[in-house]
Amino acid sequence: MKNRGGSRHSLPTTQKLTIIAQDPSVRLNGKILTTEIEIPAEEILDGPCGYRINVIDYDSTSNVLYQPASYQMLDNGSYKDPFKRSRPARTAAQHNDALVGDPRFHSQNVYAIAMRILARFEFALGRRVPWGSHGHQLHVAPHAFADANAFYSKQDRGLFFGYFAGGNGKPVFACLSHDVVAHETTHALLDGLRGRFLEPSSPDQAAFHEGFADIVALLSVFSLKDLVAKLIDGSTGAARLIDQKFLEPEALRESVLFGLAEQMGEELSKVRGEALRRSIRLAPGRDYMAEPEYQEPHRRGELLVAAIMNAFLEIWLKRLDRVGFIQGRKRDRSLVIDEGAAVADHLLTMAIRALDYCPPTDLAFSDYLSALLTIDREVVPDDSRFNYREVLVKCFGAYGIAPDSDADKDGTWRRCDIDLVYSRTHFDSMLRDKEEVFRFLWENRKALDIVREGYVEVETVRPSFRVAPDGFILRETVAEYVQILTLQVGELKDALDIDPPKDMPHWKRVRIFGGGALIFNEYGQLKYQIRNRIEDSKGQTARLKYLWESGYFDREPDDKSHFAALHLARATD
Amino acid sequence: MAGTAPKSLKIRTYHVGFGDCFLLSFEYARGPERHVLIDYGSTGLPAKTPKTRMMDIAVDIRKRTGGKLHAVVATHRHKDHISGFETKKNGNGTGDVIRSLKPDLVVQPWTEDPKLGPKATGPVAAGGGAKRLADLSSMQSVAAFTMLQSRSTRYFNKELREQFNFLGESNISNPGAVKNLMSMGKKSEYVHAGKKTALEKVLPGVKVDVLGPPTVKQTATIKKQRDRDPNEFWQLQARAMNAAGMTEAGGKVLFPKHVRTRGPRFPVDTRWLIYRARNIRGDNLLQIVRMLDKAMNNTSVILLLRVGKFSLLFPGDAQIENWQYALDNNANRKLLAGVDVYKVGHHGSTNATPKTLWQGFKKKSKDAGNKSRLRTLMSTMEHKHGSEESHTEVPRTTLVSALKTQSELFSTQQLTAGKFFHETLVKFS
Repeated sequence: MKNRGGSRHSLPTTQKLTIIAQDPSVRLNGKILTTEIEIPAEEILDGPCGYRINVIDYDSTSNVLYQPASYQMLDNGSYKDPFKRSRPARTAAQHNDALVGDPRFHSQNVYAIAMRILARFEFALGRRVPWGSHGHQLHVAPHAFADANAFYSKQDRGLFFGYFAGGNGKPVFACLSHDVVAHETTHALLDGLRGRFLEPSSPDQAAFHEGFADIVALLSVFSLKDLVAKLIDGSTGAARLIDQKFLEPEALRESVLFGLAEQMGEELSKVRGEALRRSIRLAPGRDYMAEPEYQEPHRRGELLVAAIMNAFLEIWLKRLDRVGFIQGRKRDRSLVIDEGAAVADHLLTMAIRALDYCPPTDLAFSDYLSALLTIDREVVPDDSRFNYREVLVKCFGAYGIAPDSDADKDGTWRRCDIDLVYSRTHFDSMLRDKEEVFRFLWENRKALDIVREGYVEVETVRPSFRVAPDGFILRETVAEYVQILTLQVGELKDALDIDPPKDMPHWKRVRIFGGGALIFNEYGQLKYQIRNRIEDSKGQTARLKYLWESGYFDREPDDKSHFAALHLARATD
Repeated sequence: MAGTAPKSLKIRTYHVGFGDCFLLSFEYARGPERHVLIDYGSTGLPAKTPKTRMMDIAVDIRKRTGGKLHAVVATHRHKDHISGFETKKNGNGTGDVIRSLKPDLVVQPWTEDPKLGPKATGPVAAGGGAKRLADLSSMQSVAAFTMLQSRSTRYFNKELREQFNFLGESNISNPGAVKNLMSMGKKSEYVHAGKKTALEKVLPGVKVDVLGPPTVKQTATIKKQRDRDPNEFWQLQARAMNAAGMTEAGGKVLFPKHVRTRGPRFPVDTRWLIYRARNIRGDNLLQIVRMLDKAMNNTSVILLLRVGKFSLLFPGDAQIENWQYALDNNANRKLLAGVDVYKVGHHGSTNATPKTLWQGFKKKSKDAGNKSRLRTLMSTMEHKHGSEESHTEVPRTTLVSALKTQSELFSTQQLTAGKFFHETLVKFS
């Protein structure tokens, strides 16, 4: 792109595009509710095709390639939104048809939502975030096949959205649901940040991908303020004031959380089961984690969603106390919604940043909770204002999730206070060089308790930037290492004190994982070592038992898309 | 009861190619023989088989039974088990012949009960709740759509196409046969695991245990909670395929006004994705049809017939999910351990003789001279399904070798020179 106007500063950094706010079933006066969202500005080719997303509208069922969406550049360097109406459509039917009836809009919808989620991750982490699949650009096929399915496929480097006939016989498009697109994009990003979370491990790890993707999809809705304004009291959202009766805990839970879940379109919810609806309805106060039903990954993922969404609601209510009454028992609607958006925004940032503070293998929900608490303490050392951390511990606890047992009393990770050798490595290399970090591990393997046996690899070294409470830029370096040991079942007891399941053949080979995230502070010193030890015999025994019982070792090796199969398996288990 | 118990049993294993057809004739000290037909269907006959084979079998059944069938058991609605029950408008179908034998009782799985409401999870009497019949037809329309798709999609390779054809073929509906089965018996019975069956009345002195299929509720007692109702899944699949207009070969174009190209030469920068999307679609369709095939197999009636201490096991095509309920129960496992005659499940495929079942059979023996050695009957046809490279060939080589070494195996593949049945004599006294 040329530097229009001769100066770098004149280039717009963001671009606005129209999307469907939730899905085509959410309407206002019969018109599908749309919204304009801000996404990073970039050179957009026909497709749309940008530097991270490449939409190709090919339908494999009818073997047809549809026209791409094209964009015209304006004088100010941004692109004209082809679906922004200069004046409202005369009828609802015209309005809806221009969106649903035009595949080019579908392409724009997936492009814009995926870019927005990507930008959200990059904002939280202060760095570019790669996709889990190879290559810079992720392919997106908005009408890939006639199937009530949508998934991220690592091998096929893309997101694939299906379509099917709704109850009324008209097609339902997965690519038009904000929730579905955001969810699938999150899978691709989470896979880019923590590639080993797709490895077979524990029910928690299997559940985490689904639960986390739902959390991102849900929390990112609250910055779409016109949608929330409408949901909150079922009005058009135009009135400036809102009665307190709509802001009581139960009312808000009913309108916003349940409302949102309901609005997500009954038919589209079938694409991904009904995880979202059900998770919000899960009553707190039970040790769900131990119940057999919640060993199944999809059900288990709902617990994570329930905990976060309840925390969100509780903190929002707390913050509403700061919004004064204007007329009788009425408050300013836009302030109420801004508060909700602020809480969702804070929680979403925490949820994403916490990934850096998770062990890279065999993730448990308790690890994730400790990571959330630690990152929040790093950013907001004083929690006394809205008590985010206290509320999180309480809400996770209500679903049977406690912080990791190795964590500090307050649930955060313990800081690293061991003497380490820094003199054989160089500060600058440690910021970006995997070889250098491996050298650091080598020199400190005793202190860091990394066994000699097995394979050790530093998989990533990444910077993380954020604004510190004092307004200065804070830099951390996050490095991940994994340890892999391949043993026969018969060797497990002697080597690692693991008790394999009794009926497991002793000659079978199994891979045992360990690994950690190393967080270095801005001086290059180790602040946290967040890890799962390969010698954790109790944890490894449990993992092996779970994998054996869930039939993992009976399966034929299959390199087919993990998520495609997972979604199908869920339906027929 | 001893006085009324049958003295012997003759089992005719008919050569239907890929399919099942067994005629059981019980001989009593007094009175005429009593005949039970278990399944009658085929999806493929070996090369050079006379075209009249299925009719020859029907005529033989009529002759053997002397014009009277006492009971018919249709284990499940796959074509290779029920196609023979298909009638013709002119009344000359094989199903018409069987119908003319006026069976007193027709036994089918509970899932076939026409009285089941759209929300049943179990038999009518048990008052359950999940769209079973509707689903069976959804499942079969998915199979039909898949067949159409595989024929109309030029880019599927030969291997994929063959797999579709095999799986699709047995799953598409046989409306005539289904209707005939529903109405030909004086009495129709729809059974589930643990249900008492009127077969015991038809066959005095024979104890009949129904070990499968479990109802949805019974299944839930041994399985973890489902995330989604699998029945709903099939309706959704049928609708998805409907959305694509797949009833007409070729599929409907969603946005005819916005087509850039229909190929075959697609723009270079789109080809990578196109190639990938096509592969995904092929894989997904195959996975769907496989799941569907399995689900249908798992509606199979599993019957254990006992005369005194002697027992015979006829499990249809039941796969592990169906077996699980029966094998979960100690008493059942004990009963199964004593089986003398086993009709090999699902034409000898790898997934229908669970290890627990096979290992449990006490009468397995490597000694061919052992008089109480387990006898096994297998109706199958090689090279019809699966491949040895992927260990999915039917019949499965390792299972066949175990059957050969540890039991007295009869396979329909042994029949030569125009012979189309084999008779096994079982003496009870």
